[in-house]
Amino acid sequence: MMTSLTPSHSPDGINRRAMLTTGSLAGLGLAEVLWMQEAFARAKGKPVKDINCIFLFALGGMPHQDMWDLKPGAPSEVRGDFTPIATRTPGVQISDVLPGVATVTDKLSILRSMTHVDSDHGRGYHVMMTGKKPGAGDFNGNQNNNHHPCLGSMISHLGTPGELPPYVSVPNFLNSGGPSFLGASHGPFVIETDPAAPDFAVRDISLPTSVSTDRSARRQSVLRELNRFERQSEAVGRQVRSLDTFYKKAAGLMTSRKAKEAFDIHRESDKTRAEYGMTSVGQCCLLARRLVEAGCRFVAIENGHWDTHRKNTYSLRDLLCPSFDRAVPAMINDLDQRGLLDDTLVIISTEFGRTPKINQLAGRDHWPNVFSIAMAGGGVKGGQVIGASDKQAGTVADRPITPGDMAATVLNLMGIDHELILYTPLGRPVRLVENGRPINELT
Amino acid sequence: MRLTLPTLSVLMLLTPVVAEDAIRPAESIQVTPSPLRLGGANRQRQVQVTARAADGTVFDVTHQATLTVVDRSHAVLDGTTVRGVADGQTRLQVQYAGRSVEVPIQVRNFNRFPPVHFLNDIMPILSKLGCNSGGCHGKQSGQNGFRLSIFGFDPRADYDALVKEARGRRVFQASPTGSLLVAKSTNRLAHGGGARTRVGSIDHELLSQWVSQGAPWGNDNSPQIASIQIEPARRQLGARAEQQLLVTATFSNGSTRDITSAAAYASNATLIADLEGAGRIHTGSVPGEAAIMVSYMGHVATARITVPREDRPKTFPLLPVHNRIDEFVWAKLKRMGILPSPIASDTVFLRRLHLDSLGTLPSPQAVRSFLADKRPDRRQHAIDAVLTRPEFSDYWAQKWADVLLVDRDDLGERGAFEFHRWLRQQLLTNRPYDEWARELLTATGNSGRYGPVNFFRAARTPVELTRSISQAFLGIRLDCAQCHHHPFEKWGQDDFYGMAGFFKGLQHKTLGPGRELVFHSGYQPTRIPLSERLAPTRPPGGQVITDFGETDPRVRLARWVTGPKNPYFARLVANRIWKHFLGRGLVEPEDDFRSTNPATNPALLDYLADQVVAGGFDLRAVMKQVLASRVYQLSSVPNETNQGDEQNYSHFLVKRLPAAVLMDAISEVTGSPEPFEGMPRGTRAIQLWDNRLPSYFLDTFGRSERRSPCECGSSTEPTMAQTLHLMNAPEIDAKIVAPGGRIDRLIIAGAPSRRIVEQLCFSALGRGPNPRELQAAERLFAGRTPRRAAEDFLWVLLNSYDFLFVH
Repeated sequence: MMTSLTPSHSPDGINRRAMLTTGSLAGLGLAEVLWMQEAFARAKGKPVKDINCIFLFALGGMPHQDMWDLKPGAPSEVRGDFTPIATRTPGVQISDVLPGVATVTDKLSILRSMTHVDSDHGRGYHVMMTGKKPGAGDFNGNQNNNHHPCLGSMISHLGTPGELPPYVSVPNFLNSGGPSFLGASHGPFVIETDPAAPDFAVRDISLPTSVSTDRSARRQSVLRELNRFERQSEAVGRQVRSLDTFYKKAAGLMTSRKAKEAFDIHRESDKTRAEYGMTSVGQCCLLARRLVEAGCRFVAIENGHWDTHRKNTYSLRDLLCPSFDRAVPAMINDLDQRGLLDDTLVIISTEFGRTPKINQLAGRDHWPNVFSIAMAGGGVKGGQVIGASDKQAGTVADRPITPGDMAATVLNLMGIDHELILYTPLGRPVRLVENGRPINELT
Repeated sequence: MRLTLPTLSVLMLLTPVVAEDAIRPAESIQVTPSPLRLGGANRQRQVQVTARAADGTVFDVTHQATLTVVDRSHAVLDGTTVRGVADGQTRLQVQYAGRSVEVPIQVRNFNRFPPVHFLNDIMPILSKLGCNSGGCHGKQSGQNGFRLSIFGFDPRADYDALVKEARGRRVFQASPTGSLLVAKSTNRLAHGGGARTRVGSIDHELLSQWVSQGAPWGNDNSPQIASIQIEPARRQLGARAEQQLLVTATFSNGSTRDITSAAAYASNATLIADLEGAGRIHTGSVPGEAAIMVSYMGHVATARITVPREDRPKTFPLLPVHNRIDEFVWAKLKRMGILPSPIASDTVFLRRLHLDSLGTLPSPQAVRSFLADKRPDRRQHAIDAVLTRPEFSDYWAQKWADVLLVDRDDLGERGAFEFHRWLRQQLLTNRPYDEWARELLTATGNSGRYGPVNFFRAARTPVELTRSISQAFLGIRLDCAQCHHHPFEKWGQDDFYGMAGFFKGLQHKTLGPGRELVFHSGYQPTRIPLSERLAPTRPPGGQVITDFGETDPRVRLARWVTGPKNPYFARLVANRIWKHFLGRGLVEPEDDFRSTNPATNPALLDYLADQVVAGGFDLRAVMKQVLASRVYQLSSVPNETNQGDEQNYSHFLVKRLPAAVLMDAISEVTGSPEPFEGMPRGTRAIQLWDNRLPSYFLDTFGRSERRSPCECGSSTEPTMAQTLHLMNAPEIDAKIVAPGGRIDRLIIAGAPSRRIVEQLCFSALGRGPNPRELQAAERLFAGRTPRRAAEDFLWVLLNSYDFLFVH
């Protein structure tokens, strides 16, 4: 183990360096993962509990001042066309474009003082998906552009695995949602179809139509027999070993009704599907609930088109918010009614907010200086607002929260020490979160 | 007894003593250094005690021996370190296993603490204690308001941070111990980083002395560190053994200083050899080799530790040798006590040869005619034949295109197509590697017509080009040195920006959509950002070039890069070839050459690099040697002695078929070619120049993104999505059942089941069915239609480890 070159102190008594010295390549066994989580929980004085996460990303940049943080007192070119309404939580107001969300504020923490400095989409995704500001480069073209593992990949690497793939992304690979140096096996399992489509099916989860269940079982049993011998005779390589693990998992997935059915949104009643809304975001949220219910650790949802450079009011009122405002409360209520909300952290995130002043095209442009996100479940206290922006929703007035703080919070809630050091294949020590402190008021 | 031998103090006592359990009998013991001289800047010295057994083996007993200083008014012991107290002479008594030795201790000029020098004395402490590491004050934002340059790349700024910031609280001459530097580092004032050193330690003393001397910068003309030395630099150890290192710095005026306690250490294989404390190595129970990196003030040195297998055979068998390569590998195996696996069967060899050289399965006809060939040197004939096949150029062009970033998103269709075509042409004609590399590195012209200029479009800026070229052609990772001194190497910013200087003045002129004219407008000096210091232009580790005249500066660089004396160019390509065929580089990662990342078999790497140069950079000739070696032809089935070995090529390391190769293999075995959008019919995946051609299969199985100049962009790492795809994808199922496909043709021809099974095995596995496969086939064919049974059998084959891996 590397000694004095880059020492790390461990105030909580966990020898982090002893845990992870060779980086992603070594891979962690289940035993190590469990041991590490227990040690962390002990240090924090909390019991071990698996929290799963649904990470809804409003791609393009949510206009914070039109949704979460209204400024009725500001001049009209700042204030916009929306008005604040009362919510379920006395004293907390949000926009009249989110009447549905207003009914579940008792379960929500609204963070009104998010702030960073990247006003470019690609760089904004990176910092909000990973908690880390990206280095030089263009981040708009290539989605798998991570300089640092995204939160989902960290969970895939460090969380307790279940039957399902640990990190699922729907209906797309999210920008900057890649594993970086953790390696391809910690990338997302991407569901590249829209669950709202009538013929929605997850690729490669079900058998080809020409193959019956019996036939598949026969094929698999013969395969197992052949591979078993092969494994015994020469399976010394890492690749063979990990492929073996994936075969077992895939076979488990194929044979476990519970796991396989999790992907099958058609098993939901029409009523439930309608409650979430027969929209992309609605059905993604419903699918996410099914997946975490079946043991998936991290589901990332892409909800696009929030980049309202023109016709901001129209876009929000007529195109974006109706589906969003139906899906989010439906999901939170559903999780709550099923007793899943305590163990499911819901995050509604975005790459940045939008400019205080409405532009000549009746739109708003990029604004990372201050913006809002929201969280619920997973131990997060509901009915509260954290932080504040100034009179024009242009800068942080109180309690700045950085993407690093957000990432540290998510990891801590999920039982992972955000200061854990991993090693890249080059041997460079990298902390999960470099500059971040958990937002203690949240819990 | 006093001993005054000038160099060594070896003493043999005549009375033999029965050893206790933990004490290994020794014939003699020896202490280094001797005499122990203390004084001036040498405040303390690490002691090393070595014992010699009756059979001549030596072993370290530094921490088992009993050490005593006779007169403690002159020197005292701190563990196994002797620290000065006051001028005078005394002796160190050392006892082990009934042997004892005395070493004179001479303390001179001890009370005159020499002027502390910030660069030579204080910076090393900041590094060793980790103050300037990325997790603490070295990170960009510093820690709690105190910021140091990462790994101390900017000593001036660090000096200012300590001495001039924080209103003088960090160093306060009137109260050295009250200074934050001293109080925080010992945690006497609560320190987020805890106690990094303790009161009374040599570090503490030096920090306090520096503060009380007024925190001087020091004389810029003082001697500088010239080099560091490790003793021993190489040692074979048993399992669960120890070795204390001695590390000495030599200064430009010839003086030396013991820096054992001040240096930083890291092992590249902690399971084999790990460190505790300053330079104290202990081995585990895993045999193998470890490199112990020692670094001090930008200087690095490496000690190599070999731990042979415990129960290695007393006599090593005489192994057959095909060529020189085998001799190097057998020598290493002998040292490690590992026996190689037997040679692989003909069919395993042929499939391996085809997949590794051509990215293509051997055809059933090729397998049959090879098996029918009764010449004793048929393997050699097969190797010769394979290397002239056109698939060779397809496959290797794709591999080079990964390294050289032939990315359609960056280069446009035209640029990517032309660049790929040019690379393939170089391989097809087997043009000497140095020649085509030289042409590429100096390419000038229209990117739509002349392929290699596109290299200067994927990486456009001097900084990007410095990174790409140093990694792709030299195997040195200068990336680190862009911003700070490489933590494990000699490279610093002068090297990085020295190289960047060759590209300053490189111009890109737009000629049309996706087309550019690339040319160099002439040499311009380069400055290092932030410090604004001029960086003289030179290749990494090479001579400064001041006068470029009228020529394109890249010509000088290209000549240096591809020159036969360049220590990196030939070695890197030799290592690439080795890794490609054997599955693991002699240096790993294959393009990360550092003195601190030594080759597992340096003699073999030297040999291969020599062969590259001697053969005039004819890479096919070197490949031929590798393929012909017995080492390449070993079986992948391990024996008892080599089971855990992945470093020494004692058996073949299985590897998954790369994305494009696997895709072609599935098309081939099913007899159903893959149509690629916009490509001529019959195009194979290994022929694709367009890395962005939509393909779920290629993405899922890890084709290269071509975003960084290495082979690391492509991945053969398994994922869940891959497994599910192989098992269930409708696309693969469609290939299995395709009309006109292999199964369809066999069924229509009325082939009996035995023949179907045979054909499928030959095409997928390059051999006839073995008894287990026959048994499997029997289960599947029993009572079912031949077509369905054949489909099931083929499905099983495509998902089997035998098919998915090169064995």
